[in-house]
Amino acid sequence: MGVVTLKERFSDTTAQEVFGGILVLGIVVLLLDLLRLVATGELSPGRLGSLLWYGIVDSLYIGLAAIGLSMTYSILRFANFSHGDLVTTGAFGGWTVAYLIGGIGAADFGSRLLLDADGGARAGDLGMDILASPVAIVLGLFAAAAITILVALAIDRLVYKKLRDAGGITLLIASVGVALALRYIIAIFYTQDSRGIVASSPRVGPVNLHEATLVVSAVTLIVGVHLLLQYTKLGKSMRAMSDNKDLALVTGIPTERVIFLTWVIGSGLAGVAGYLIVLDRSQITINLGWFLLLLIFAAVILGGIGSIYGALAGSLVIGITINLSLVWIPADLNEVAAFVIMILVLIFKPDGLFGGVETA
Amino acid sequence: MALLEVSDLDAGYGDLQILDGVDMTVGDGEYVTIVGPNGAGKSTVMKSIFGLTTYMGGTVTFDDREISGLRPEDIIRTGIGYVPQNDNVFDSLSVKENLEMGAYILDEVPEERYDAVFERFPILEERKGQKAGTMSGGQQQMVAMARALMLEPELLMLDEPSAGLAPDLVEEMFDRIDAINDSGTAVLMVEQNAKEALRRCDRGYVLVQGRNRYEDDGSALLADEQVRQDFLGG
Repeated sequence: MGVVTLKERFSDTTAQEVFGGILVLGIVVLLLDLLRLVATGELSPGRLGSLLWYGIVDSLYIGLAAIGLSMTYSILRFANFSHGDLVTTGAFGGWTVAYLIGGIGAADFGSRLLLDADGGARAGDLGMDILASPVAIVLGLFAAAAITILVALAIDRLVYKKLRDAGGITLLIASVGVALALRYIIAIFYTQDSRGIVASSPRVGPVNLHEATLVVSAVTLIVGVHLLLQYTKLGKSMRAMSDNKDLALVTGIPTERVIFLTWVIGSGLAGVAGYLIVLDRSQITINLGWFLLLLIFAAVILGGIGSIYGALAGSLVIGITINLSLVWIPADLNEVAAFVIMILVLIFKPDGLFGGVETA
Repeated sequence: MALLEVSDLDAGYGDLQILDGVDMTVGDGEYVTIVGPNGAGKSTVMKSIFGLTTYMGGTVTFDDREISGLRPEDIIRTGIGYVPQNDNVFDSLSVKENLEMGAYILDEVPEERYDAVFERFPILEERKGQKAGTMSGGQQQMVAMARALMLEPELLMLDEPSAGLAPDLVEEMFDRIDAINDSGTAVLMVEQNAKEALRRCDRGYVLVQGRNRYEDDGSALLADEQVRQDFLGG
């Protein structure tokens, strides 16, 4: 009798539940191993703490960018592959303004305008750190948002608006084209060379001030987006439209206006993310956003695409994963860990991908 | 002059024409039902009045004003409320937020508007913080109607309000629609539950293949032998 019930029990188990079980088991094993490593002294608590902290820092800028990607998905109904290059646009645009303002007198105008593409405007000479040039760096942050918003609105007007009813696949392919065009237009001016454009971060005691600037700015913006979505009429109409676009239309919500504001918020956050990443890493390259895009997608997919809070939770998982996995695997492979998790979640909970919403 | 006057309306989706010269009127405070077989274009009439289909000819006037060709967000300002058949609530928004969206075009929603719909649907006041997507079918239908009533429309259009409701809730839903009509709001309704709808309404239209077939008082249509046999199952 016991055998029969056991068999019946397992015949009810779906493939998804089996994968889910394996996933949970895997996480438990890794957590136990982590405890063992700390207990045996192979991994110092300090090292564990800093890995977790880097995970949180990474998840903040991934999250800023993921909010925008998730918004454009849920409101415009397409996976925007040019979102990563909006991140890049923000990085170059914002830092150009920071250089123009902060480097007056320290380097010639052309070198500052092109972010040291010719080697004539060194970050150190310009004093490009948050203590030496706070005004320039803060103004650069606002400029990053503003420039990215203008670029995104122009692209919407030129490309996406004409394809509004064309379906998700058409829009997706168009966005890949936009991504490439945007990146190489940036390359024409700024060259493809990767270079350091931010001086090393000043410290106050143990606090890295550039990292702190990133954390404070990102947390403020994320809280701001949350308040906007929950408590303002605009935010509620954005949620309404992401729920049900047809009903939003018959309810009298001006849908084109909501789309406009979606671009403003989504691209503004993407631009700020790009700017803050450069502040934290010092390096700028035209591939900055494109390489980040896969992680952003992973975060958005993990959280169930289209859900902004899901995207933030997904960002946290991805950020922690790519850092904590360094305990077991070499740094070259850490992003693989993030994508393995993403793939497992896709198999375990395919809803996670285009959950409840049709088209790509 | 009737409140709503549809005359010789042609409309459809893209190249596909569904309505072929439809005529229809709804008077002030009148309760009008559209019945007919599947695919007759009943829902298309409502969508066309609300500017959601491809306009191909004819006129729609509301309150002596031509509204064909207007956008839905402008039509809603003229005083027409519309409750679509399916997916008619914002799932992830609370009940109260659904109502707030119903009054989106107002800069400030007067508290009395909420009070008025809560008085009509007391259960919604108890559940005003609940996400609409987690409610039962009957309650969602109430949220959808309440949302459309937030602007106190002169005409309320209901597409299959009894669809998907448990049988014991259908009567209750029709009673609520009676009550809305009794308070002075004109009602235009599409219903699959044709007998009950015709019993309740003032006047009815039978629509077949995108054209008017019969038009009369609800009770007269119910009594008509031909209508009974062809459209009401004997």
